[in-house]
Amino acid sequence: MGNVVQSEARGAVRFSSVEVCGNMAGLELLSDQGYRLDGRKATELRKVQARMGVFAQADGSAYLEQGNTKALAVVYGPHEMRGSRSRTRHDQAVINCQYSMATFSTAERKRRPHGDRKSTEMSLHLKQTFEAAVMTQLYPRSQIDIYVKILQSDGGNYSVCVNAATLAVIDAGIPMRDYVCACTVGFVDETPLADLCYAEESGGVSSLALALLPRGGQIALLQMDARLHQDHLETLIEAAMTACKGVSKVLDEVVRQHLQESSVLSGE
Amino acid sequence: MSPMKLCVPGDKLCSVEDCIPGTGVYLRHGYIYSSLAGYVLRKNEGEELPVISVVRETETQLLPDVGAIVTCKVTSINPRFAKVHILYVGSTPLKDRFRGTIRKEDVRATEKDKVETYKSFRPGDIVLAKVISLGDVQSNYLLTTAENELGVVVAHSEAGAQMVPISWCEMQCPRTHAKEFRKVARVQPEYLQA
Repeated sequence: MGNVVQSEARGAVRFSSVEVCGNMAGLELLSDQGYRLDGRKATELRKVQARMGVFAQADGSAYLEQGNTKALAVVYGPHEMRGSRSRTRHDQAVINCQYSMATFSTAERKRRPHGDRKSTEMSLHLKQTFEAAVMTQLYPRSQIDIYVKILQSDGGNYSVCVNAATLAVIDAGIPMRDYVCACTVGFVDETPLADLCYAEESGGVSSLALALLPRGGQIALLQMDARLHQDHLETLIEAAMTACKGVSKVLDEVVRQHLQESSVLSGE
Repeated sequence: MSPMKLCVPGDKLCSVEDCIPGTGVYLRHGYIYSSLAGYVLRKNEGEELPVISVVRETETQLLPDVGAIVTCKVTSINPRFAKVHILYVGSTPLKDRFRGTIRKEDVRATEKDKVETYKSFRPGDIVLAKVISLGDVQSNYLLTTAENELGVVVAHSEAGAQMVPISWCEMQCPRTHAKEFRKVARVQPEYLQA
């Protein structure tokens, strides 16, 4: 009974503990001191670790981890159109994306890894994102395949896929206008939270996913399917753009390091 | 040799007044930006501005372009056309095979209507051809061999031996001495080994 002290009248520091069944489920997405469930601050991103060129057989490949979300991206192309030849475009390349989740990626074993509605929608979003950044006019009548697989899902699936696929496309040597960096942000207690994890996403936070070309500040894709007051939209987009620029710095480091390593190996 | 500068996609390299854009770069608002992750290469071409391009150690897939000389292998023939797989573009091998078509009227420059594909190509022949069109939605790359230097370079006879060219329309098998009809390419003197 006595492990919670509340002194709202004097505005003193409030302690909250999980045992007290006071507010909803006792888990606070943003504590008073500004710490989130995993101890991050509101604008702090999760740790990003990435490696390029993980597969030798594919034209380009990359593995990226953002916190506990792990994704693997593989790129083939540009090559001749396969499958339906009627989809050939005479002036640019067609980008074919496939998103799938490993059956062991979520808490409960996934019954249908690909082909379900969410995967198809995600694949379409990835296709739209990369059509904005890849210079497809250089490869008419050909096809570029981007396959992304989520190995462990802990929130921000779309963003991690976009970041991994960017590295894979760069590894394949396909010309791009700029990096494509993505981040998922949410709005809690008048504060934007950057880079949501699974607990925050399912905790009823209005989440917005943004894919950005950082140098020009151009938005490649913006997606939100939650309710948010109009006044907060500006702030949320600003926070997302700042978070994406942070991600782009990390990806830049990874690309430069990979370039230097591969040139050392080839003896340049 | 000074160390070459690393660059990543989106890096601003220089203004369009200082250099001419080459490969691996793009122009935007009067500036040249890199579109590949690689090394910046500046080449001086005489009195003109230097050409700036970005190169990688491993070149990406080259696509056959109109006017390019390609090396292909015949897969099937038909009285109207021959279907081929394009293997090399110039001297660069392709990682993936592209499909092409050589129509009957593109086999040679003279007497186009009297061409018999059976007497010009056979499946398995290696042919030098030139790309005339990227084709439309339904068709593949359109190729032509209507020049002296284009046509069959390597062919195997029915006995299985590699044949020797005798004239522009015949090849002979060294084992059985049987002659077979092909549209033979006149190989440039510099490529013949003495």
